Amino acid sequence: MRAKTLALPKNRRNIWGTIISQRELIIMSVPLLLYKILFSYVPITGWTMAFQNFKPAIRNTFDQQWVGFDNFVKLFTGINGERFIRDIRNTLAQSILTLVVGYLGAIVLSLLLNEVKNIGFKSIIQNITYMPHFLSWIIVAGLVSSALALPSSGGIVNIVLMKLHIINEPVQFLSNPDYFWGVVAGSHLWKELGWNTIIYLAAMTAIDPALYEAAEIDGANRYHKMWNVTLPSIKPTIVILLIMSIGWILEAGFEIQYFLGNGLVIEKAETIDIFVLNYGIKMGNYSLATVAGIFKTGVSIILIAGANFIAGRLGEEKLI
Amino acid sequence: MKIGKKNLSAENVIFTTLNSTFLILLSVAMIYPMLNTLAISFNEGMDTVRGGIYLWPRIFSLQNYRVVFHMDTIYGAFMISVLKTIVIVITNLFFTSMLAYALSRREFIFRKSITVLFVMTMYFNAGLIPNYMLIRDLHMINTFTVYWLPNIISAFNLIVIRTYIRSIPESFIESAKIDGAREFRIFLQIILPLCVPTLATIALFVAVGSWNSWFDTFLYNSAKQSLSTLQYELQKLLASAMNAGNTSAGVGAAAAQSGAGNVTTPQSIRAAITIVVAVPILLVYPFLQRYFVNGLALGGVKG
Amino acid sequence: MKRFASLVLAAAIAVAMSACGNGSDSATSTQSAASTGSAPSTTASSGSSLPVLSPDNPVELSIWITTSQQAPSADNKLTKMLKDKLGVTLNYEIITPDNQDQKIGVMLAGGEYPDIIGSTDQNARLVTGGAYIPLDDYLKPEAAGALYEHVKPYWNKIAYDGGQGKHIYQIPNYNRFYGDIVGGVNYSASGFWIQKAVLADQGYPDLSNMTIEKYFKMLEDYKNKYPKIDGQDTIAFEILCAQGREWGLTNPPEYLAGAPNNGGVIVDENNVAAVFADKDVAKRYYKYLNEMNAKGMVDKESFTQTLDQYLAKLATGRVLGMYDQRWSYGNAHDALVAANKVERTYVATMPTFDGKAPYYADRDVMNINQGVGVSVSCKKPEVAIAFINTMMNEDWQKILAWGVEGEDYQKGADGKFTRNEQQRANSTDLIWRSSNRLMALTDIMPKHNGTYSDGNAYSPEDQPEEFFATLKQYDQDFLTKYNKKTWRDFNNQPPENPVYYPAWNIALPDGSDAQMADKQLKDTALQFLPKAIMASPDKFESIWSEYTTAIGKINVKSYEDAINAGIQDRIKNWATK
Repeated sequence: MRAKTLALPKNRRNIWGTIISQRELIIMSVPLLLYKILFSYVPITGWTMAFQNFKPAIRNTFDQQWVGFDNFVKLFTGINGERFIRDIRNTLAQSILTLVVGYLGAIVLSLLLNEVKNIGFKSIIQNITYMPHFLSWIIVAGLVSSALALPSSGGIVNIVLMKLHIINEPVQFLSNPDYFWGVVAGSHLWKELGWNTIIYLAAMTAIDPALYEAAEIDGANRYHKMWNVTLPSIKPTIVILLIMSIGWILEAGFEIQYFLGNGLVIEKAETIDIFVLNYGIKMGNYSLATVAGIFKTGVSIILIAGANFIAGRLGEEKLI
Repeated sequence: MKIGKKNLSAENVIFTTLNSTFLILLSVAMIYPMLNTLAISFNEGMDTVRGGIYLWPRIFSLQNYRVVFHMDTIYGAFMISVLKTIVIVITNLFFTSMLAYALSRREFIFRKSITVLFVMTMYFNAGLIPNYMLIRDLHMINTFTVYWLPNIISAFNLIVIRTYIRSIPESFIESAKIDGAREFRIFLQIILPLCVPTLATIALFVAVGSWNSWFDTFLYNSAKQSLSTLQYELQKLLASAMNAGNTSAGVGAAAAQSGAGNVTTPQSIRAAITIVVAVPILLVYPFLQRYFVNGLALGGVKG
Repeated sequence: MKRFASLVLAAAIAVAMSACGNGSDSATSTQSAASTGSAPSTTASSGSSLPVLSPDNPVELSIWITTSQQAPSADNKLTKMLKDKLGVTLNYEIITPDNQDQKIGVMLAGGEYPDIIGSTDQNARLVTGGAYIPLDDYLKPEAAGALYEHVKPYWNKIAYDGGQGKHIYQIPNYNRFYGDIVGGVNYSASGFWIQKAVLADQGYPDLSNMTIEKYFKMLEDYKNKYPKIDGQDTIAFEILCAQGREWGLTNPPEYLAGAPNNGGVIVDENNVAAVFADKDVAKRYYKYLNEMNAKGMVDKESFTQTLDQYLAKLATGRVLGMYDQRWSYGNAHDALVAANKVERTYVATMPTFDGKAPYYADRDVMNINQGVGVSVSCKKPEVAIAFINTMMNEDWQKILAWGVEGEDYQKGADGKFTRNEQQRANSTDLIWRSSNRLMALTDIMPKHNGTYSDGNAYSPEDQPEEFFATLKQYDQDFLTKYNKKTWRDFNNQPPENPVYYPAWNIALPDGSDAQMADKQLKDTALQFLPKAIMASPDKFESIWSEYTTAIGKINVKSYEDAINAGIQDRIKNWATK
């Protein structure tokens, strides 16, 4: 499937020779690396704020009051600590649920779409399911909130469920904390389900038809083929996406929780990002916000490195 | 054997029916909220609050759109949004694929280190304030540059394009090299054209992201009306629709003598705004759609 | 690098200030960047007069405004007037209230500002963050005379110590009154609102000595009698708890206790403030709401709906009552009037516990924590101040508040301003307003509240003639039944405000324990109160004790101490107005 790794120049003494011979590749890449360092790495110097009692009126960063790890202690202990740890839990839960539901949904839908033989029908379904992706999260949050309202307020989900006699009493989706993680995962599913199938469908088109024919000769039915041919063929894609997503596990989204969160569900709804916004920048608590950012980065890097390593050990695709 | 085939086709019919039904229901669930929003946007605002608008307006009205389109800032903002999206898409595709090409060359000695440095950036963010300070120190506040320059490479797209380039048979590049082509020419004349499907897909990724973003405008360019974007202007309009009843003195009793027809409600304005924002980006999609299925592949390195 | 930048900035200000001296031997000193930590005394460019704004000398000013009003459209007639008469072009930066806190956080960190900043409830933050220049030197009869008049009687109140001594940095935008206060027709503040139809149906019952039980009894009777309104289920009571309006849930107990709005605290007769959120008075109210909820009187969606869903619900006319402030639901009121459902609009009732005298309506107070000021980045502060000063002239005030004479209103033979139907309709039309009014600017500029020297009210909304002319027949009859002339007559007579009043605008510094505790108190209330109200009555006690336990963990004392220090400071400094 992939080109064989070309022989790398092993001879260290020839390193300058290699650089010279690859100067064009260097010119094409190194300036972009410097660019990225400027825009992504240089701002990290701002993390010094985490160790200061940062006051914006003091313009010289060295005149700030240095407080060591006080801000870390403040964030992780006491009443803020309880809340922050609760918010870590919510963030993890929401994003894991979103991840699992989103992955399974997209894989199942792509398998089903792959079985549709009528090209016109398939294309209509695909195009419709892609559409929600084009809406911004603010808009989606508004749609979700009106769809999940009570029937008297036009909540279509309740109206349909009651018409079908699946429920007798309207469900209050937005006021029961136990539903909130589900609401978040469901909103993501609605918005991204179709879109996420693109990448799997792309992988499926690359599958050699001979594999299916061979399976048919072996007497495989439709489900055997899905399980034994299609799924293994798209496994590398699944693995890579999974590794990537694991690093984003503390990014559970923002708008949906901000827009739909309310007092009744806050214990399940509030995520790290919302806490940081409300208790950080909005209150002039720059240091606190920075500490939370450092924490998130630390976790992400550890997770992504771990996932990458494990994937390598298991002989699967690695990200880098 | 014959019997087996018959069974298979009966099973086939059942599966196809169930599968189609499911897919149709799913599509309805996907499209209904949007059609509902469309209906509300064309319905008279005061009538909408009575509820019961589903797929068709009950009292047809253009007033919601009249309010949105009366805002003369919206036209400039629309142009900026379009321009911004175009510039981001072009720069991002060009630079990302150029880098992806370099990183796809297995003999390239900085391949690994550059890849790691880029992939890392997917997982950290220096934070709002440090980023703002950098943009300020680069004198990019209130400039158009701030919309695209910080975004010319995205690590995720880099991986996608790199994977795609690797799937291009090595012989294409080898033969070009034998013909004496330089790397940049190989990239420009051989790789880029072959990458069109994947670039089309990524163009849509990037375009959607750029089109829907408002935070960059809010953060960096809110002081410059001529650089405002559609999303940001509409967001402000929504806030003002929500508070339209509050006159400046904070007392609105003398208000609203105007009779129905001129009254808009936040709900109906929101619907019109949603449509105004969504339609342009939805219109882009059909042009790129045909590249979709073979445009995207994602791969890493075997460990 | 940054120090260098601040030096450059300081130098620029120095140059700008000496350049503006207009030949007078002004001893300029700079408002040097705060980075030195020392507090340089700002000596005055003494006796300097402000530049005269004229079209011969066009200027551009950037102005930052927190408002939910729209920026004017390009064809705006008043924008043109500013340019033609004063040579002033304004570049607006409009930030909606929900985005304000974050944007200010970023702006302070960045240290670059527009020329003029007008914000709401953020004065202290902007001053301590080093965004504003002190205006003291300009606030002189011979310089910014109109502004000087404006602030003179309230100097001690408005001046703020942001670490560099007490100075005036920001001119409040509301409720500095001139002349007679004639705006006593409408009522824009708090109450337990009830539909006029409910009162009419029950024979216009007496509303004095209102209790929360009587109030809910009226709602309940009406709901039982009319379970549907216009085909939709009747909702007896709506609790406002949308984002940014959480006070709809948390404020009522203080009013029920007969106390005025002091934010999170009740202040006793010894001027000692205490948090009431976990006290008996609060428990009594929420327990009552819990019982009412069990009876199906409270809307199940109260806590999950967004502001526009809340407003839309009121606008259907099926909500019988709610606690809110009048300005906050204005949109729904207008929609009801427009739909000819005047009987579904509301009047305020003022229930209290234990026969306490209601103190819902207060004497209008100036919010000293908001308004407009000039930034340290402004290259020509004297021009910015001259502009604000000019806007304070009565002529401009009338243009901002009423519009253009002969176009937007008429002057009668008696000198009274009146409007016709079309003009009134225009004034509520979003489209018309963006071309003909400067709503955003008006919102944040200091105002000539009260009356002008010719006896007209500050704005049409305050003009008694306007009020009576626009009163619908239904409302006229309604008022007659109650033997009252205006909506304000339904309120308590507000006593003289205590010296320190109101405690809600005592600024808590960024990053202080008090500010943190305040935020935590609010969040805790938001987490537990909705649950306590919606729970079945037998669970109320246990949720309430969870709630008080959670409050027990907060450093409430730091908050109370800060508020009490603020009260004492005000008593000391404000005793003489």
